[in-house]
Amino acid sequence: MSFGLNVYKADGSLGFSTADITWQTVAQFTVAANATVANTYSEIAGMTVIAQRQLVNVPPNAQEDYVPNVAITNNSQTITVSPQSGLSSSQCIIHVLAQDA
Amino acid sequence: MAYGFEAKNDDGKVIINDTIENLHFIGKATRGGADSNYGDIPGYSGSNDTLDGRVVHTYTITCSGTPVAFIKPDDYARWHAVIKQSVSSTTWTFQVMISGTSTSNPPELYCFVNADDIPVPSGETHGMIVFKADGTSKTFDSRRQPLAITGGGTAVAPSDPTNTAGIPGTTSGHAWNYATNDHDFRSSSQYTAVTDSAADTSTAMFSCPSLAQAVYKRQMHGYKESCGCCGFGCQDHYSTASWWVMYRSAFRLRSGNFDAGWTNYAAGFAFSSNYESGGWFGGGGGSYSTGTMPYTAKTINLQSNAFIIADSSRYD
Repeated sequence: MSFGLNVYKADGSLGFSTADITWQTVAQFTVAANATVANTYSEIAGMTVIAQRQLVNVPPNAQEDYVPNVAITNNSQTITVSPQSGLSSSQCIIHVLAQDA
Repeated sequence: MAYGFEAKNDDGKVIINDTIENLHFIGKATRGGADSNYGDIPGYSGSNDTLDGRVVHTYTITCSGTPVAFIKPDDYARWHAVIKQSVSSTTWTFQVMISGTSTSNPPELYCFVNADDIPVPSGETHGMIVFKADGTSKTFDSRRQPLAITGGGTAVAPSDPTNTAGIPGTTSGHAWNYATNDHDFRSSSQYTAVTDSAADTSTAMFSCPSLAQAVYKRQMHGYKESCGCCGFGCQDHYSTASWWVMYRSAFRLRSGNFDAGWTNYAAGFAFSSNYESGGWFGGGGGSYSTGTMPYTAKTINLQSNAFIIADSSRYD
């Protein structure tokens, strides 16, 4: 690497390197069932942003469990989580990731 | 940032600073039991009985934060997915579904949480911590192995989980008691590939929760009329055969590719046959079924989800 940061484990092997990184965690939050939440992160303005969704505390088989929609707006700064149109949504963990453009 | 620490990679992209949080390795989740089933359609034998099968392994880990779980396949040819994540107090439980029916080669589950949610052993007094502007919350702690995400993007499975194209519908006009399935419910050829250079079949692991689920159903109605001598005493005979399969989206790592596809989670078969009263015989019939179809046949949550890839060897 030309510059950056390496962190080595006690045995001398590489444990972390900024040279490897492609995506960074910005935030992680949980949205209650049927709720609408909008969070703004000014530090990721203009970055490429993706959001991972994980339903939590719902059965995988016995019923219809709907994941909420995620919208990324406002120059990628605002993450809005809301139920799908006309459907109730289940509790969901949101993991926001960004990539410096 | 006005002051503090910022690290960039060779491309000049910000990797560490006082606002972007890094996840840190808290450990591998402990594997408990495994449930293997649905290598075929229960209660049915005949054409298109075979399914891909699935094994559901259960894992637990205790931590104060919300963990992000990475699946490290032992058999990279099989499809994997976290299909359920639940919490009771600080104990998190994961159900990981993999295709096939063999309980051998279970995957490992590597878990990561925020730096503030991970205890640091008392003996580790050296390293580098990056704090947020509040001076107390951490974004990075070199003493706990920070997560290096080496690949990622978004992926979604194809809309049809079955090898036979199209939605299997309901048809009539079959012979009475006809029950031969004509739809291949397997999913082996149904996936979408996303190119990613971080994907390999040796040490790569991924995080991509299963969102999409689908129920597909094939149903056939049979009929015949039987009459006595000279057209007197006619009877109607009816039969219904139905096969259903429930799917969850699942994923696979190949060299240079991240695949989003499907694996069957549950399945069942139902059959009924009856005939009206009159004619030479009285009315009657019977029925049986295996399993309960969870809901009307449909596909839900078929949306792109973010996937991320990392190198498991950094955390062994």
